[in-house]
Amino acid sequence: MRAQIVLAFIAFSACLGQEWRLALPGWAYAFPRDHHAHPDFKTEWWYFTGNLFDENGRRFGYELTFFRHGIIPPAQRAANRSRFIVDDLKFAHFTVTDASSRRFHFEQKTSRGAFGEAGFDRGDELAWIDKWSLRMGENGEFHLEAAMNRGRIDLALTPAKPPVIHGENGISAKAAGEGHASHYYSMTRLTTVGTLTMDGKSLNVTGSSWFDHEWATNQLAPHQLGWNWLCVQFNDNTELMLYQMRRDDGSIDPISSGTFVAADGSATHLRNDDFSMMPLSTWKSSKTGANYPVQWRVQVPSRSIDIMINPVLRDQELAFAPLTYWEGAVDVSGTRSGVGYLELTGYAGALSALNR
Amino acid sequence: MLRFYHWQVWRYIAQHRALALLNVLSVACGVAVFLAIQLANRSATAAFAATIDLIAGKAQLEVTAPANDLPEDLLPRVQQTAGISAVTPLVRGLVTLPDFPGEYLDVLGVDVFTNTPFRTFELTNFNARDFDLEAWLGRGDSIALSQAFVARHGLQRGQPLRLQVNGREQIMRIAFVLQPSEMREGDEHVAAMDIGWAQELFGMRGRLSQIQLQIAPGANRRQVQERLRATLPANIEVAPPSRRNEQIDKLLGSFRLNLTAMSLVSLFVGAFLIFNTISASVIRRRREIGILRALGTSRWQVGALFLGEAMTAGIAGTLLGLILGTWLTRALIGGVSETISSLYVLVNVRSVTMNPADYLAASALGLTCAFLAAFFPARAAAFMPPVAALHPEVHSDENKSASSAWLACGILMLGAGVTAGFIALRSGPAWISFLSALFCLSGASCFSPWLVSGLALAGHGLSPARLAPRLAALNFRRALFRNSVTVAALGCALAMAVGVSVMIFSFRQTVTAWIEQTLVADVFITPAANEIAGPSSFLPADALAFLEQNPAVSAVDTFRYVELPFRGGRMALAAIRAAGPRDFLFVNGNRAAQMARFRNQPCVIVSESFARHYHLKPGDQLPLATPDGTRSLPIAAVFYDYTRDDGVVYLSDKTFRNLFHDDRVHSAGVYLKPGADLDALAAAFRQKFGTRGEFAIYSNRALRRRIFEVFDQTFAVTYVLRAIAIIVALAGIFLSFSTLILERSRTFAIMRAIGMSRRQLGGAMLWESVFVGVGANVLGLCAGMMLALVLTVVVNPAFFGWTVHLALPWTMLALTPVWIIPAAMLAAIIPALRATRLQLAQSLRTE
Repeated sequence: MRAQIVLAFIAFSACLGQEWRLALPGWAYAFPRDHHAHPDFKTEWWYFTGNLFDENGRRFGYELTFFRHGIIPPAQRAANRSRFIVDDLKFAHFTVTDASSRRFHFEQKTSRGAFGEAGFDRGDELAWIDKWSLRMGENGEFHLEAAMNRGRIDLALTPAKPPVIHGENGISAKAAGEGHASHYYSMTRLTTVGTLTMDGKSLNVTGSSWFDHEWATNQLAPHQLGWNWLCVQFNDNTELMLYQMRRDDGSIDPISSGTFVAADGSATHLRNDDFSMMPLSTWKSSKTGANYPVQWRVQVPSRSIDIMINPVLRDQELAFAPLTYWEGAVDVSGTRSGVGYLELTGYAGALSALNR
Repeated sequence: MLRFYHWQVWRYIAQHRALALLNVLSVACGVAVFLAIQLANRSATAAFAATIDLIAGKAQLEVTAPANDLPEDLLPRVQQTAGISAVTPLVRGLVTLPDFPGEYLDVLGVDVFTNTPFRTFELTNFNARDFDLEAWLGRGDSIALSQAFVARHGLQRGQPLRLQVNGREQIMRIAFVLQPSEMREGDEHVAAMDIGWAQELFGMRGRLSQIQLQIAPGANRRQVQERLRATLPANIEVAPPSRRNEQIDKLLGSFRLNLTAMSLVSLFVGAFLIFNTISASVIRRRREIGILRALGTSRWQVGALFLGEAMTAGIAGTLLGLILGTWLTRALIGGVSETISSLYVLVNVRSVTMNPADYLAASALGLTCAFLAAFFPARAAAFMPPVAALHPEVHSDENKSASSAWLACGILMLGAGVTAGFIALRSGPAWISFLSALFCLSGASCFSPWLVSGLALAGHGLSPARLAPRLAALNFRRALFRNSVTVAALGCALAMAVGVSVMIFSFRQTVTAWIEQTLVADVFITPAANEIAGPSSFLPADALAFLEQNPAVSAVDTFRYVELPFRGGRMALAAIRAAGPRDFLFVNGNRAAQMARFRNQPCVIVSESFARHYHLKPGDQLPLATPDGTRSLPIAAVFYDYTRDDGVVYLSDKTFRNLFHDDRVHSAGVYLKPGADLDALAAAFRQKFGTRGEFAIYSNRALRRRIFEVFDQTFAVTYVLRAIAIIVALAGIFLSFSTLILERSRTFAIMRAIGMSRRQLGGAMLWESVFVGVGANVLGLCAGMMLALVLTVVVNPAFFGWTVHLALPWTMLALTPVWIIPAAMLAAIIPALRATRLQLAQSLRTE
């Protein structure tokens, strides 16, 4: 069952849709309120990715994500019950990409949280499982801690720009139809300082991180297999986020979109026909047999962007059977250069197969 | 030699097929019964162990508390203990299924987040797709049933299932299938659900049944165990799961030994039969022996010839016995499993565990028996002087008078039996008491030659005028030795029947008297689940208040059962509210004073078997593992009790509440005011609480009947054993008479030739069988009474620690001759008919 818990990762189950609040247009974002959990919605995640360098220029990537998957809607939670009853499934993924030794480490944690060893929203602690934690500081900075066998991070993240709200009218659409959307904002550039411990060696690292916070209910439509998602932090202090919803007939859902963030922090919504993503080469996983398009050419003509996306490592697959995805650090070159993170889902089996 | 052997033995066997077959069958019966008892017991323990394994999973240590009452707050403390690699909590409870009468589920509340390293079963959706975690965690009515259970009852996915829990009814949904992995065959009654919802279902919020843990690689289990004991409260037990298996083994030990001893009686009777046949064969073949010896065959070879013949029957019988035994196990296993469930622990035996060791033991026993039985006749053949053997005159038993050596031997054995009985009672070990029974049986058998010659004399003297009985008495005496063996065989079987019957009768009488004293309430009420699963469900709290306030009720007694760890085993502790005029049957002392002390002072009273088992006496302190640590209470008195052979400890409900902070009860005994209507109260109770669950409401009479149903069921297997022993013995009479007729064919032919009618000849044969019947009856009744005495006075106190007052079932005893003598005659009818149809010319050929 350990693996089945990941099932919740897709978090788009349709069965309990009526009891959970849908992501509908008109959400008024407010911070820091919206950094906290939104328990009325079925799924929610706090997604941190970043590219880090130590004092000798040794390159690392990391991902630390906390997932909340609602099991029992708040209205149905009895006041006095067994503490073992689970309202929200809590799980988290932690990866470290070690570019110089060409290794990718990944681990998943999940917990019932019956004794408060995992949960969301406890004072300034936004999410935690055992010793993995996401805390918010007084001045809007974030503090990340996580450890696994080979590596450990202890990072302080300071926002260099205000939050960017994706989509239109407060929702980021994922498919046609009411509710097939999420509330979605990003902190696109977080100056990151801290220590990264690799194989027992503690390194002082600096770099930049990206924080995605998304909450929704029932956002994926049945015919959607998964998505390609990309975030880039260009060296000229601009950022780009793009995603494509992939359908089971091989086409891209026209509802796919993106956001361009200018150096001053102003955001522009990009529609599907405002950009193009072309896969250039694929990497086949020997573990899962999945074929991931890990190298891309991306064009945003309106911003004169024509860039190549190259993975730091071709194998950055999180093989959590039966649900597996690819999420890794990338280098960006072309009309602008920079670093970023690429996410590829639904390649090792359709996500929709798990929609009940 | 081998060819010679083949020729000699096989020729004989071929000529006497019926005899050979009977020999084989008698060994087969003994071996089969022995094997079946072993296998049935083994299967029961194995089934129990498999269930334990399925539940304990791969836990290396288990943390448990008395009364299934482990505070859940201990879980983080256990998790933080050094040297542990995995920890998982478990909630466990029993439920019954009103739609499937008699069925129950052993429901495990598991934590899927932490129990992966422990699991010995897989949870799947019905259609084998991925496990639906959301339904598992999110719906309190989701339950996983075992594949076997689902298949047997033809259940469907998503089907609603009514459960009875603590007297409440709950509707669940069969959402998942539980499949034992790793080839483990667990109990199909094991079901699973999420631990949180299981706490709700069983009303165990805040409490766990146990915490399972695994030791980190490199850590020492003993150290971890010590560390946990140091951090956890005193009444918390930390032990490897196998311990419980051992406890069950110990618990069932005496039960198994009892049945084994009884199954050995069949073999004992079988040995008599073999002895009889081989003796007959030696006598019949005197001439052959003489010729063989004269031709130079050695004594050893002659002896080997007869031993070989016995062993042929022994081997064939043993082989057949192994097959029959396997088959008989299937017949017995239900009864054994039910008995174990009603007396000891809930167990469900569905398959027979074929243990090679049991087969080996049964084979060894069958062969040894055949060998020992044949040894003495074979030796007699070997040492027969060739001249005497060839002498044509002597053709039957030579010894016509009973030797006083037998008498001495018998007295000696009886003395040994009495001594063994004393040792068993005084110092143990308890199994010596069976030795006492064996000595008594063997000793009584030794008197058989004296009995036979006495009977022959009496028969001769009684009816001088009539030919048939007179001739029968003469013949009876002439074949003294072998008739003695036949009488002894039937006598032993009868002795066992009588002994066991008297013991059961005495036991029943004793229990009746005890019930008269202790079971005096007018109505007994308990959640129906307790009937199937033992004390597991509680009465609703307001049910008690309802009963107390009912105008028809004068008083309410309550009963609460818990198990506490005690001296490496378990102590059965019952909290009793004795509000009504109920008395305990105290072993000695002032009853009223003892009752008052029990009611009003913190103390315990212990059952006789408990006191004997643990060598405790009034005034001793008994340590109880309570949630607040160990508390010692003085033993105020010892009382008679026949509910559990490992004993029981009673304390008052007040004392229990003070120590355990728990006022739930398993059942209530209600005393009605004079003239109050029992049925009206039952109806009122059902009307008020019937919607919340099913209750078993027994009137005093109905409960007594129910108790005796359990009692009789417990001894059901015994009746089977008894019947088999008697059938084997009757077959022995048939066998014995068949050989006698062959031997006496010449005599019979001469008698017929000088004018005796067929009728007279047949009559003489039947009269002889009457002598056998009477002899066996006398022997059987005497030995049976001794055996009964040993069983009631020695075996019961030594094994179970309870006093059974000897009581005699006079009617049954008086009726014994009425059926055993006709039965003996019936067994002799075919041989007698055959005797009358002998071909005169052929039989007189040698004259």
